Amino acid sequence: MNFYNNSQLVSWLSRRELLQRSGLGVGSLALTGLLAGGGEISAAPARREKSVSPLLASAPHHQPRAKRIIHLFMNGGPSQFDTFYPKPELQRLDGQPLPDSIKNKLQPTQRNRVGLLFGSPFKFRKYGESGLTVSELFPNVAQHADELCVLRSMQGEIANHTPGLLLTNCGHSTLPRPSLGSWMLYGLGIESDELPGFIVLCPKGLPTAQSTNWTSAFLPGVYQGTHIDTETSGKELIPNLTRDDIRSGSQRAQVALTQFLNRRHQQFRPGDERLESRIHTMELAFRMQTAGTDAFDLQQEPEHIRKAYGDSIQGRNMLIARRLSERGVRYVQVYHGAGQPWDNHGSIVPRIKQLCAESDQPIAALLSDLKQRGMLEDTLVIWGGEMGRTPTTQSGTKDVNKVGRDHHIDGYTIWMAGGGVRPGVTYGSTDEFGMQVAENKMPLHDLHATILHLMGFDHRRLTYRYSGRDFRLTDVHGRVVDELLA
Amino acid sequence: MDKLTVLITAVLTLLLLQTVCVLAEEDVKGREFFEKKIRPLLVQHCYECHSEAAKERQGGLLLDRRSGWLEGGDTSMAVIPGEPDQSLLIKAVRYADEKLQMPPEKQLPGDSVKLLEQWVRRGAPGPKDEPGATEFSRLGDQKYLFAQAEQHWAFQPVKAVSPPEANLKTWNNNAIDQFVFAGFSENGLTPSSPASPSTLIRRLTYDLTGLPPTMDTVKQFVENVTQDRHTTTTEAVDRLIESPAFGEHLARLWLDVARYADTDSAYRPDTRTPHYFPFAFTYRDYVVESFNKDKPYDDFVREQFAADLIGFKAGDPELAALGFLAAGPFANRDPLESLDDLIDVTTRGLLGVTAACARCHDHKYEPIPTADYYSLRGVFASTVRVNPLDEQKLPLVSGYEPSPADLADYEAKRAAIDTEIAKAGKGKSKNNNQSIGQKIRETDLAELLLFHPGAPARAMIVTERPRPLEPVVFIRGDANAPGETVPRRFLKLADPEQTPFPENASGRLQLAERIVDPKNPLTSRVFVNRVWSYLMGSYLVDTPSDFGLQGSAPTHPELLDWLADDFVRHDWSIKRLVRTIVLSQTYQQRSDHREEAAAIDPQNLRLWRANRKHLSVEALRDSLLAVSGQLDLTPRGRAGVLWEKDYTHRRAIYGYINRFNLDPTLRAFDFPTPVQSQSKRGESIVAPQTLFTMNSPFVIDQSIAVTKTSRFSECSSDQERVDALFELIFQRTAAPLEIERVIRFVEIQSRFNTPQDKARRASTWPLVAQSLMMSNEFQYID
Repeated sequence: MNFYNNSQLVSWLSRRELLQRSGLGVGSLALTGLLAGGGEISAAPARREKSVSPLLASAPHHQPRAKRIIHLFMNGGPSQFDTFYPKPELQRLDGQPLPDSIKNKLQPTQRNRVGLLFGSPFKFRKYGESGLTVSELFPNVAQHADELCVLRSMQGEIANHTPGLLLTNCGHSTLPRPSLGSWMLYGLGIESDELPGFIVLCPKGLPTAQSTNWTSAFLPGVYQGTHIDTETSGKELIPNLTRDDIRSGSQRAQVALTQFLNRRHQQFRPGDERLESRIHTMELAFRMQTAGTDAFDLQQEPEHIRKAYGDSIQGRNMLIARRLSERGVRYVQVYHGAGQPWDNHGSIVPRIKQLCAESDQPIAALLSDLKQRGMLEDTLVIWGGEMGRTPTTQSGTKDVNKVGRDHHIDGYTIWMAGGGVRPGVTYGSTDEFGMQVAENKMPLHDLHATILHLMGFDHRRLTYRYSGRDFRLTDVHGRVVDELLA
Repeated sequence: MDKLTVLITAVLTLLLLQTVCVLAEEDVKGREFFEKKIRPLLVQHCYECHSEAAKERQGGLLLDRRSGWLEGGDTSMAVIPGEPDQSLLIKAVRYADEKLQMPPEKQLPGDSVKLLEQWVRRGAPGPKDEPGATEFSRLGDQKYLFAQAEQHWAFQPVKAVSPPEANLKTWNNNAIDQFVFAGFSENGLTPSSPASPSTLIRRLTYDLTGLPPTMDTVKQFVENVTQDRHTTTTEAVDRLIESPAFGEHLARLWLDVARYADTDSAYRPDTRTPHYFPFAFTYRDYVVESFNKDKPYDDFVREQFAADLIGFKAGDPELAALGFLAAGPFANRDPLESLDDLIDVTTRGLLGVTAACARCHDHKYEPIPTADYYSLRGVFASTVRVNPLDEQKLPLVSGYEPSPADLADYEAKRAAIDTEIAKAGKGKSKNNNQSIGQKIRETDLAELLLFHPGAPARAMIVTERPRPLEPVVFIRGDANAPGETVPRRFLKLADPEQTPFPENASGRLQLAERIVDPKNPLTSRVFVNRVWSYLMGSYLVDTPSDFGLQGSAPTHPELLDWLADDFVRHDWSIKRLVRTIVLSQTYQQRSDHREEAAAIDPQNLRLWRANRKHLSVEALRDSLLAVSGQLDLTPRGRAGVLWEKDYTHRRAIYGYINRFNLDPTLRAFDFPTPVQSQSKRGESIVAPQTLFTMNSPFVIDQSIAVTKTSRFSECSSDQERVDALFELIFQRTAAPLEIERVIRFVEIQSRFNTPQDKARRASTWPLVAQSLMMSNEFQYID
């Protein structure tokens, strides 16, 4: 055994800690990553710099179907009835009260707030060979009907934004838990040397629940998502990415001077892998200045691509998402906007029209673009919010331009595409009014288990030892839904 | 007969009885039936979630052994022998009850259900349990876990150990060295030589104050050491420990544990501003002061739990100690969650046990029954947190007299806000049921109170509930499923008699007394381990908030006990503890790698060298300000922003911490998110740290400021300038090779510099200064 190499492990996490934290089975991945530079698993090619880095790329439990995720988060909770789930019965009975038979099944608090049945004023039609029915609000996304796997029986736990966001992102409605993106980085490390592995795009500020949405909680802080406000563009996006008060040549020379000092310093201090790691990290940071700027510089795209996405905030969002994915960012989460834009308690008709108009073309362009580049195969695209909306109106008014829909968690709709999901299918359904799940209920834990499966993980074995127990994204729940797999 | 013997006897008796039963002939037939007909069914449909082989015991139920279905899971017995209709397992497979259907995927075929019914009717025969302890059968078995606890090192009384003689004279003067030396001898290791004087004084200054020494201090120390190393070192240590910077540095150790922040964990959705804690700073100041005054640790703990119950009155700074309870994360969660946080910070933070795991069930790995959780919960549920913005109820803290100018400015701004509030009347704000007045109070007013130096200083406090709550166990943590009532009392683990706390009080004071009871083996061990690591860079127990059965074993158990015992016997004096540690040879060794020692102990568990430590983000920031002459050493008071425009020049401990949206720079440098008690900080090496030193305006400002110091501007040659920068930033003289390299950089830069470049703010010399600040030498302590 090479003890010199072994000592390299010590620095970032102690070996004991590492073993304790690895939990059941995860040793095969987290340890592979961390030990690779230490000479114990010599087959794994790893640069020395990473032997102390928790972000070293590592293998999952099984052959993954998806290598990266682009999660399009329609925060606020989009209405399923006006987008991807037509309810003819609802349209037929529009304006009537909810039948008592259904009403009595509701929670008392919910019962009191229920308005009149509200059929979607938007037209639906079938698209593609799959015959998926999509509303007129998403004419461009609908062109990809045969790529979509639409889940119509999503079930939340608490019908409000913060719990919904936390459950969707972190697997628990109330307690601070690591986000899906953090778990992915913990399991897989990073692919890119020049960009963070988990990036969150949100124009104009932060979504509701803010950074808790991408928190690493008790996982090491390096697994936390990096938020970027895409309202501005270019280099302001990453904190301290560049400075423009000196010539770049000066900075290169300055870094070289520091590295000269670092090498001297290290020369007198052998056997401390952290010093080497910091020297390499400085080079990485220097490269990141260019790569980081580069990834966000949309002028590098040919005009037809830029045109396809459209010159709008959403267009830029989607195009940046693709550029980041392409550069090895494992998990890109794209929020529609700050706060909760899809939370249409009132005036849902004009508002959802606008929200869809903003995002339809860019999302369709993203799907086409990924497909054309051969990336859709191993990129999992997820579209959806933290909940859905009620089949009934909320406000007292009957003015179709003023009515809204309330929060609804029992049977809302999301869709996925690419990354090994079955294309051109729908899964699950709700009752004729869309009030409750009728078949194939889909709790978030099952979605998480399935996503992790696609990424190559057994959700029961991706664990982390904290505070005396092994934690996992799905806690004690979760089922991989085979019907969703291609 | 001790408890262990009782337990063993009981287990043996049980086994014996079982053996007798198993021998009955009917049982043999029954087991055959089980193995042939029933086991295959269970294997196929149930074992995935209910067997040791699958390492799954969902709902607490195991179906691979008789005790499994007889004792059942969390709900109750799964099988009542002879009573299929009463047995939950049969109910579940019949799929009659919508809430209880097993297996969850698909109903079993009719004949399988019939077989299971038949089996139950026959008395549900099956194999006896595997002999011997398997991990699974012991999961959550509190009897077993308490028996384990009887032998677990951390739960044993702290022993007054006498240190072994070391056969090396210099290692025989300090008990720490004697224990550590014994570890060398056992492992064939030898100690490293003492660190060079310049390294030692830099290490001491950082470890005791979080600041770099000045070049003069280093020179003086090096000079004096040659005459008398011992006296010089002792004097330096005393000087550093008595400086106000000591408390400012050590306090951070505690603030990590206490998850300190200046805001709550939630924000206002309409304004997107945090829920401010304008007066949390008085708690932070209390902690700093306590370390500086060498407040005995037991008093420190008592005050944080119960300052109001031990005679402190409005005006006393000690009342601010209650911020430990009152300034925790609260608003984002329902009350149950904030109680969970208080239980967690108390048990992991002070006692090193993970009691918060026992909320929904008895702890699976630790001797902590769920009743313990609810006993503690009763204490905190009987405690009322005063609203952090309630200026009527939060008492003033003396000692914060603002300057007349600040006071006048505050009063003017305050009057303007009060007028706004009055004007708003009872109007409701948009999209929110709150009044506009309330909104102004929570935003403009709270911000004024938080940041304005003229605002009054108050203590965040808790009070007693008029009638204490009788805690009730929530089955599986569900508030809708109340179980037995339990008294408010201490953990069974540390109080086997289970003495209830008084009926007419929350029990906060009694809880604190139990925690700091010298007989409590956990408190002193947990705390000395934290202090040890703060100075040494590694832990004696590597899981500092978990000393339970699942925690790490101590590398030096006797040393840990000696430190804990010595600490308590000397009136819980933290300064004495710190002094003892840093005056040891162990602490003062060189940090260099030694091939032959690393071959035996690569992780330095036996402490054959000092650990090279990276600066914390606080020390890094303070150092940047210190070396550039920009550090403002004003103690106490309100928080300032750390990096943005108009950042404070005060020490980082006085920086504003937004709990809900932790500052990205802090995060990049491993600052713990203060949403829960932090056991320790890691050292991550990531690019955003380097980007910060390369590009942040904060660092650039300091690199320019260094070149404005008199030490630098008085230089008349480039060589002198290089010397000046090395002395200011590294506190050492530059080597000839380094001087040469820097001057080459300067020359090349000057050659390319256009007149515009020269006019730039960051000209060549600031770039050199920054180059030094970006280096590993600046950021590591040897």
